[in-house]
Amino acid sequence: MRYRNATAYRFLTPYLLIFAIFWIWPIISSFLISFQATRTVPWRFAPTFNWGRLIGDPAFFNALKNTLLILVIQVPVMISLAVVMAVLLNSPLLKARGLYRFAFFAPVVVGEVAYSAVFRLMFSLDFGIVNKLLNSVGLEKIDWFSNVTPAMALIMIAVTWRWAGYNAIIILAGLQSIPDDVYEAATLDRVSKLKQFFYITLPLLKPVIVFCAVLSIIGTMQLFTEPFLITERGGPGGGTETLGLLLYRQGFRSLNFGYASAIAYTMAGLAIAITLVQLWLTREPK
Amino acid sequence: MAAVTLTNVVKRFGTFEVVHGANIDITDGEFVVFVGPSGCGKSTLLRMVAGLEDISGGEIAIGGKVVNDVEPADRGIAMVFQSYALYPHMTVEQNLSFGLRMNGNPKADTERRVKRAAEILCIDELMQRRPKQLSGGQRQRVAIGRAIVREPQVFLFDEPLSNLDAELRVQMRVEISRLHKELGVTMIYVTHDQTEAMTLADRIVVLKAGNVEQIGAPLDLYDDPANRFVAGFIGSPKMNFIAAKVVDLSNSAATVELVNHGGARLRKPLCGPLPAPGAEVVLGVRPEHFFEAGEGDCDIPVKADVAEHLGSVSYVYADAGPEELIIEREARRQRAGSDHFTVSIRAERSLLFDKTGARIR
Ligand SMILES: Nc1ncnc2c1ncn2[C@@H]1O[C@H](COP(=O)(O)OP(=O)(O)OP(=O)(O)O)[C@@H](O)[C@H]1O
Ligand SMILES: [Mg+2]
Repeated sequence: MRYRNATAYRFLTPYLLIFAIFWIWPIISSFLISFQATRTVPWRFAPTFNWGRLIGDPAFFNALKNTLLILVIQVPVMISLAVVMAVLLNSPLLKARGLYRFAFFAPVVVGEVAYSAVFRLMFSLDFGIVNKLLNSVGLEKIDWFSNVTPAMALIMIAVTWRWAGYNAIIILAGLQSIPDDVYEAATLDRVSKLKQFFYITLPLLKPVIVFCAVLSIIGTMQLFTEPFLITERGGPGGGTETLGLLLYRQGFRSLNFGYASAIAYTMAGLAIAITLVQLWLTREPK
Repeated sequence: MAAVTLTNVVKRFGTFEVVHGANIDITDGEFVVFVGPSGCGKSTLLRMVAGLEDISGGEIAIGGKVVNDVEPADRGIAMVFQSYALYPHMTVEQNLSFGLRMNGNPKADTERRVKRAAEILCIDELMQRRPKQLSGGQRQRVAIGRAIVREPQVFLFDEPLSNLDAELRVQMRVEISRLHKELGVTMIYVTHDQTEAMTLADRIVVLKAGNVEQIGAPLDLYDDPANRFVAGFIGSPKMNFIAAKVVDLSNSAATVELVNHGGARLRKPLCGPLPAPGAEVVLGVRPEHFFEAGEGDCDIPVKADVAEHLGSVSYVYADAGPEELIIEREARRQRAGSDHFTVSIRAERSLLFDKTGARIR
């Protein structure tokens, strides 16, 4: 038996080696780096240098505030939207189901740079279709890129556009696992379609929705692409700078790896904490 | 008052017709079983009564009122599904009360009804469990309880016992029978198991490929089936069908020769129109209707192939020429002699069918 295990491990060694070098080591190493002052040569151990700075850094709190704001607004909106999309996709009345499923999933596979460029065009002040539409219904143009509130809204719209369909597909799978006869029984019990949705569909979808929410929270905590490409590195004036961007700015522009590592660990810690709170809030009653 | 009447009921899925004009009259308080092989349209018929499938043609009336366009919830029916269809996220108690709660039924009344259902089905102790924490039999009880709570005029069951093991099935069968006596309401029960049909039903509706083959009390179907299909479907083990040929007609009786049994002949008195001379016919004999050699009207020698000993009786699967016969024999502890023996058929204990399967009476 032991011999057989040994053989298995020998086959696993190449993978484990690569995993250790490129995954485990960086994780440990960045943890260690977060306790070092990295602006001096050579780096020296200074436990409070980065972590102390973090606590008092207005840029950090600005990025934290932006990230959490996006999280708190965008994730619930997107998940709700995804549930609605999934229910519509699951409707027996729908024709060309495959086409919609593909369309919903497509944003995920579109290249990030291409999609960001298109969003910048669509929302541009003078040529953007969005402002043209607003104008045509008698609303004023919005300068999406120069004001903080519209810029934040733009980020949320973009992220939602990209990931709502993806979540809808996951939720659709959950929907399809609810047997029809449960709804038939409810119909015989004189429960309206709307009540069936709230009292049967939603409770039964809860595990899937929680799963999607956790994935989205983790994703949004690391949000980088949209504020980097669409609002041009967290503009205007840091108004859309997220933790992910701050990390990038500190690590790769200021080459302050110690501080960047501390930020990275803060992000991971926050994601874990929020997820745990969420799992606890939505735990199965027993 | 909840008689159920189906008049020329037709069901089509697209252009595919699965029920071809069913006429069934069910009186108030009757226990009617729809039975037939898989895919014959039993469930479809039941679901049309429930309102879960719309009716392509004809009329369904419940309690004298045509319900074709009445919402399922307003038909005064309750249905028990084969898969139970319990709400997985609710406790047993919530499952029972859900419908009433959603409809703003007074709380005290809801509690009373739930309590009563729980007592009838002995599920008091399970009230706080979820469906996942119940055995199949317990789930089925809860599903029946949910139907009872609605206090319907008509109960519909769609193969409610098919997911249970044999022993539990017998036990639940008795309980459903008891429930029918206790509540006294109309019940329509779908099954493909003829034993269930025979034991539960006041009347059985035999279906085949979307057609009603015969409607009647269990023993009437057993004694006097309208055709070969019903004769073969009702009764277990199945009726034997022996190829025969009409050789003589006289005084409203037909003499048939059993083609595969060395010219054995049987004179069968008939009361209806006589078959044509020389016509190929089929003689139906139930396994329990074979007699000892010489005790009947016509003897045929057979050779035992396999025997199933059930204790009180044995079923012998015997070769008789190219035909295989199932013969019920008294169980004998010591079976002496050879595998060859002779059985006898009596005219009054056999049925005659023509080539198309219609009964010749
Ligand atoms: N939704 C549907 N669309 C098309 N055909 C259907 C549909 N539901 C049932 N059928 C067909 O109708 C026929 C009768 O089906 P039904 O479910 O009533 O059979 P059943 O007698 O209940 O059989 P079983 O004993 O297997 O449950 C079958 O041939 C089936 O294929
Ligand atoms: Mg069925």
